[in-house]
Amino acid sequence: MKNIFLFSILVVSIISCNKNIDILPQSNLYDEVYYKDYDQFNAALTGCYNGLQKPMLDEWSLTELRSDNAIMGNPTSGSIPNRELSDLDLLIPNPAHERIYNYWLNSYYNIFNVNKIMSNLAIKYDSVNGALNYDTTSTPVTQVQRKKLSAEASFIRAYHYFNLVRLFGGVFLIHKPVSPAESKFINRSSVSDVYKLIIADLKNTVDYGNGNPYQSIGYTDLGRVNSWSAKALLAKVYLTLNMKTEAIPLLQDIYANSGYKLQSTYADVFSITNEMNSEILFTVRYKSGKIGLGSPFANMFAASSSGNYIVNGDGDGYDYPAYDLDSIRPNSTGNNFDSLRGSEYDKTDPRRSFNIKKYGTKLYCSKYISNLIYEDDGENDWPVIRYADVLLMLAEAQGFIAPNSSSVQLINQIRTRVGLASVNPQTVDEFYKYLSRERRFEFAFENQRWFDLVRFNTTLKPHFAEDALKSHFTYMYNAKGGNHYNQYLPMINLNALLSQVNQDHLLLPIPRREIDNNTNLVIAQNPGY
Amino acid sequence: MKNIIYTFIFSLLLTTQSFAQKKELTGKVVDKTNGAPLEGVNILIDKSKVGTSTKKDGTFTISLKSSKAVLIFSSVGYSTQTVIVDKNTENLTVQLVQSATDNAEVVVVGYGTQKRSDVTGAITKFKNDKLDETPVSRLDQALQGKIAGMQVQNISSEAGSDAKINIRGISSIYAGAEPLVVVDGQPIADGLAYVNMADVESVEILKDAASAAIYGSRGASGVILITTKSGKADKVKFNFKYSVGGKTDYKRYDVMTTSEYVNRLFYEEQLQINDTLETKTPITASNNERAAYIVESKLLGGNGTDWQSQGLRKALFQNIQLGASGGKSEFKYYLSAGYQRDQGMMQNSDYEKFNIRAKMDFSLSKKAKLVFNVNPSISRKESPSVNFTTFVRYPSFMPVYHNDSTINLVHQNTQWQYLSVGDFAQPRHFNNLFYQGYMPNGTFWSNSGADPFSSSTNSPTSILQSTSIVNKDYRLQASMDLTYKIMPGLDFKSLATSYFNYTYGLNWASKNAERDGTVSRGVFTNNSNIDLLAEETFNYTKNIKDHSINALLGFTTQTTRLVKNQVAGLDFPNDKIRTLNNSTIIDKSSTVGSSNRVGLISYLGRFNYSYLSKYMLSTSFRTDGSSYFGPGKKWGTFPSVSVGWTMDKEKFMSNVKAISKLKWRLSYGVSGNNRILDFGFLELLYPANYAYGNGTGNTTPGQATSPTIRSNPDITWERTFQKNLGLDISLFKNKIGFTIDCYQSKTDRLLLQQSAMAFTGVPLSWNNIGSLQNMGIELQMNTNNINNAHFKWITSGNISHTKNKILELGNEAYLLYEGERNELYKNIVGGPLIQFYGFKTNGIWLSQQEIAASGLTSPFRDAFNEGQLKIVDVNNDGVLDNNDRTILGSPYPDFTWGLTNTFSYDNFDFAFTFQGSQGGKLINGDPNYDETKKLVRSYNDNRYISPSNPGDGKTPTYNKSGFNWMLTDYVIEDASYYALREVSIGVKISEDKMKKILLNGARVYFTAQNLYFHNAKGYRGINPEARYTNGPYASALVGGYQRGAFPIPQTYVIGIDFNF
Repeated sequence: MKNIFLFSILVVSIISCNKNIDILPQSNLYDEVYYKDYDQFNAALTGCYNGLQKPMLDEWSLTELRSDNAIMGNPTSGSIPNRELSDLDLLIPNPAHERIYNYWLNSYYNIFNVNKIMSNLAIKYDSVNGALNYDTTSTPVTQVQRKKLSAEASFIRAYHYFNLVRLFGGVFLIHKPVSPAESKFINRSSVSDVYKLIIADLKNTVDYGNGNPYQSIGYTDLGRVNSWSAKALLAKVYLTLNMKTEAIPLLQDIYANSGYKLQSTYADVFSITNEMNSEILFTVRYKSGKIGLGSPFANMFAASSSGNYIVNGDGDGYDYPAYDLDSIRPNSTGNNFDSLRGSEYDKTDPRRSFNIKKYGTKLYCSKYISNLIYEDDGENDWPVIRYADVLLMLAEAQGFIAPNSSSVQLINQIRTRVGLASVNPQTVDEFYKYLSRERRFEFAFENQRWFDLVRFNTTLKPHFAEDALKSHFTYMYNAKGGNHYNQYLPMINLNALLSQVNQDHLLLPIPRREIDNNTNLVIAQNPGY
Repeated sequence: MKNIIYTFIFSLLLTTQSFAQKKELTGKVVDKTNGAPLEGVNILIDKSKVGTSTKKDGTFTISLKSSKAVLIFSSVGYSTQTVIVDKNTENLTVQLVQSATDNAEVVVVGYGTQKRSDVTGAITKFKNDKLDETPVSRLDQALQGKIAGMQVQNISSEAGSDAKINIRGISSIYAGAEPLVVVDGQPIADGLAYVNMADVESVEILKDAASAAIYGSRGASGVILITTKSGKADKVKFNFKYSVGGKTDYKRYDVMTTSEYVNRLFYEEQLQINDTLETKTPITASNNERAAYIVESKLLGGNGTDWQSQGLRKALFQNIQLGASGGKSEFKYYLSAGYQRDQGMMQNSDYEKFNIRAKMDFSLSKKAKLVFNVNPSISRKESPSVNFTTFVRYPSFMPVYHNDSTINLVHQNTQWQYLSVGDFAQPRHFNNLFYQGYMPNGTFWSNSGADPFSSSTNSPTSILQSTSIVNKDYRLQASMDLTYKIMPGLDFKSLATSYFNYTYGLNWASKNAERDGTVSRGVFTNNSNIDLLAEETFNYTKNIKDHSINALLGFTTQTTRLVKNQVAGLDFPNDKIRTLNNSTIIDKSSTVGSSNRVGLISYLGRFNYSYLSKYMLSTSFRTDGSSYFGPGKKWGTFPSVSVGWTMDKEKFMSNVKAISKLKWRLSYGVSGNNRILDFGFLELLYPANYAYGNGTGNTTPGQATSPTIRSNPDITWERTFQKNLGLDISLFKNKIGFTIDCYQSKTDRLLLQQSAMAFTGVPLSWNNIGSLQNMGIELQMNTNNINNAHFKWITSGNISHTKNKILELGNEAYLLYEGERNELYKNIVGGPLIQFYGFKTNGIWLSQQEIAASGLTSPFRDAFNEGQLKIVDVNNDGVLDNNDRTILGSPYPDFTWGLTNTFSYDNFDFAFTFQGSQGGKLINGDPNYDETKKLVRSYNDNRYISPSNPGDGKTPTYNKSGFNWMLTDYVIEDASYYALREVSIGVKISEDKMKKILLNGARVYFTAQNLYFHNAKGYRGINPEARYTNGPYASALVGGYQRGAFPIPQTYVIGIDFNF
């Protein structure tokens, strides 16, 4: 009897237990149950917006720091994070560079999330025709929703590829989710194929994105990309490809119809109480309050070892302004400039005092510093496309027409806003100098300068990025530049430093890990690395 | 013990009889079981050193001084016997019984026990003899060097931290290479951490697949079975143990002070100036270094801070144990309470553990037996919030507190006006000031704006004092099992166990703890882990004449629920009030929560057959279903078979007198590994919010995929197939005993976090690819060198060698992983699991001429500088680039060994253990990393200064280091070592003195750990055992790296042990 009793316990426990191993996650959603309705797609899209933040952590070091706007604040330090910054400052990054790899990985991570949305919406990239194809299969959302979602998602993908192609050249063109096994058979694409996807993606946003003028955009939709953001970014793509005639109508459209306009003061553009103002076409948003969306840049850029004098939680002293941007030079004559480099800010330029401040003898970038209660928890958004950029892009696309022509007036709109006297270039060369200089001052520390310099190699010929960088190195090597570049150890002589400025080094190396990691294919490293 | 007491009583009797008479006694000693005469048995007249031994035929003659005497008969492998003789005793025959350590010894195996003589697998038993006198707080540390084939490495010397354990090498690549730990039948991941060593009866290590296959999906990396003590039917016995001692660092880094360093720079500069061959501008001490020199030489009066002493301390070790056991045949009990305190050598490193155990055996009826076992415990671990490395590399010019001179200096800056003497000095206080003073070469120097030490972070001492990291574990293991005799030979056992672990942690930082302007922060952790196990087994034993069989059939199911909650609160009104209700705001980015369940269902069986304990056969199987895998991939089966042959029982062996025991064991089995992260088969989504809207925006919930790893729906078990050939041999009447095991294991379908192309969006992906082989040999040896009634000398040693090899990696020829400093680990098919991959060097460049003559070019920054590492152009293409990387070594030792000698002389005992590891290599990150390398003398002595002062031609100069973030063989060092791990000396206090205070016996002992540590030549660090195991190093494919290693602790403890 007892035996039977015990045996029955055993049997019962066996039967009741199969559910013991059929366990599904309780604290996470997962792929199979996701992308099933509009709300879920929307949350996935929000995830892609969130994914814009991570590459920003390193972007300044790959753009501003390499350009003539910023230098490495602590050249004598031998610590690894500082050495990595030194490498970028000196324009000799190592293919194993941590920041380069992180930027690459974080960009592709977000591209993957976009690709997930696109494939679940059954939208495929047709690489032959350079267009997005909407499959006719039924999707869990309506056609209107499908277009709206894909318009925003494709912009984000284009934005990442545009940055990647400008930094690395022909990268791996991933436009749908690929498995780790498939990935081992994918090699780098050509630069033109990458641009083909970028243009197709942006056209998708132009066509299906929100086309309402700024004043009619629902206030809850501010911060999302729209048709105007895409037109502006596409115009920049065309400019970069030196396709000025394609860029002009897009920019003129924004100029005439978008409702976006300049803020009355430079400070208003960046004010944390005035976010998503009429000048912001696309920004990477941050939000304080310790909700995991705070901006770290106030602490990253505040002068190092400043205690809580500048921000709570001290600063790292990154993105340290170059002396040749600030008018710190003792014998400054003010408004002069040499060649394309544009020299330093006019002393009275309010953009200078807004962007650059001083702690003791140290300069620091103050653009993203607002009052901070908690460390690494800033509110300041990072603007990517501003209306001021649209104006100057239009000037660049139209080129020098004549003194006092519309192109010149576009530059003067920017100058007038900050209370500077108008300029009236008389020659193409002068026009280029004013344009380059205005862009440098207006967009200092917005990660534009590097891309501008490289782009000017084709759009503002014969002004070459190499010349501007060499001039920066020379200036900052000497006493008037604080002997910056000759403090590095081992000591680098100026000629060796100048020889680093070459066509090869205008591209970053493909991360070494990516090349090492593929045993099936030989992946070409960029020349010079 | 009993013998000694009897001896004692009889000797008392004897001494009262004063009419001594001389007497010649003859006799014979035989084996009780077979009556065979025994040769070489020691016979001793009690309390004297007079004795004799038996001849070949077992006979002996001994002359007695008195007519009454107590004789003690002892022989290896037999229980010592005491015989009282009087004047009437003639022709004495003594029958010795084989001692329990031999034939009757029982070994704990999975789901049961087995006679040692019938064991056919590779199992090592470690009995808790003096294990609990080892001055360590954890069982794993106590086992170091004691078991062949089990490698225990104290990778961190912080109090209470986990040791790294491998049984028979690494059978799995990802994370699951740690053995399964089973405490009294229940698999518990942190079993080694909390079990009270004094409660341990024995530890069995199941090494081969045949013995571990019964644990199926979790047995591939070996199994450690911990069995706790039980009560015996006896009068109540009390035991009290107390030990106390201290711990200190064996060796520190030899660090230069700021003054020494700056003096050196000036000296080197002068050498460069005087060197006519030097073409470059001499390198002079920078303004920052000069300013630091002035602070130390002038403001601190030349007395810099010894920061290592700030971080380290003399630590306390304490152990109190109280136990009671006894009972009658129907009710037996074992009760114990233990408290251990193990302070770390580092400030704020502390570990305390409090354990209670009650184990009760009830005989409910003739058929039913019930065992109830409950073990509540509390442990508290405090960890320092600052690494030891930070102390090592902190410059000595930094005072801990401001003095009159430094406060005057920093008051130059109005920002620091509020500081006063006695406040913590922080690096930023000294920046941006005006400095002036005399340099080592007598020149006067002044500068404004120097930053002697640029760091935003507070000094390590001030951080330590304003932070605290405390974790408390509240654990309860409870089990009940009922054994019911269904019919003779057939038992049914039902076991239910539960393990509950609640962890409460608070990671606290006061206001401005780490930097100026940071708010106070409390990270509260509440984790619970509830593990329930039910096990139903039938056990059938039958002996028919010479055949004996034993069969086991069972079902078990286990479920684990893990709930993790971590909340970070910020900005508390007061640093003393540390509860969440007082926080001003919750930090979402540090606030996490999860709740998950893991389940396992298993069917298992075993069949053992033995013929006269001469021929043995054992087979087992287990079928596991696990929740770790996706539909269709959940179930796996793990069979095993093993045979044994006790050759010494064969007739033809009876003439081989030298061999007293000879047993062959051969086994083959399959075991598995399922230890991966939860839900590796599903693509999980994680919160990724964003703010839309005007103004500062409104937070909108978002979801995104994992940024670290891609799932794989097809992943399933990893399987390990292992063959084992073992030999147990005893020679010369058990004087020498060996156990030799050779094995070969092959693991396939490796559960791998495969390195993915980063452009897929993640760096890793789950996969089951590849296979791995381990081959090895291990030898365990015991010798009874001297064994007589007074003096015993036993040596036990072990040595093991493992060689692992990657057999295949799917379609890949190799895998490549990066460590924290981009150093590379390559996993190549056909080679050992990890090989360091980087550049070979050939000394340093000595001159520009040498560089020019080499004709080499390179895209690397600083590839060509005098005084810098000279990379070898391995592929001879004239270009130094990434194609010149090559294999630089492997972290695996050729062999590991341990050797213990135990001596006892009457009441004294003395033992020492040497332990070592030979042949492995490590990457020492310190000489690679500027900050740790800068001031440590062993990385700077004989460094290059100028062409005429090239140092030893191998050590690069600090200022021209170049390749310091790339892996070169310059930092590959020999990790071999041997250590005098343990020394213990004990003395029993004679019973007659104790008797007066009702004690059965007492022992006083002294033990010490790490009295001597020998490092290999070429190792420049201070602890060759230290390894990084977090971050990228958590993977078995990345390892052998250390940086800023913690000193080796040297521990001294005295203890006393009372039995009453």
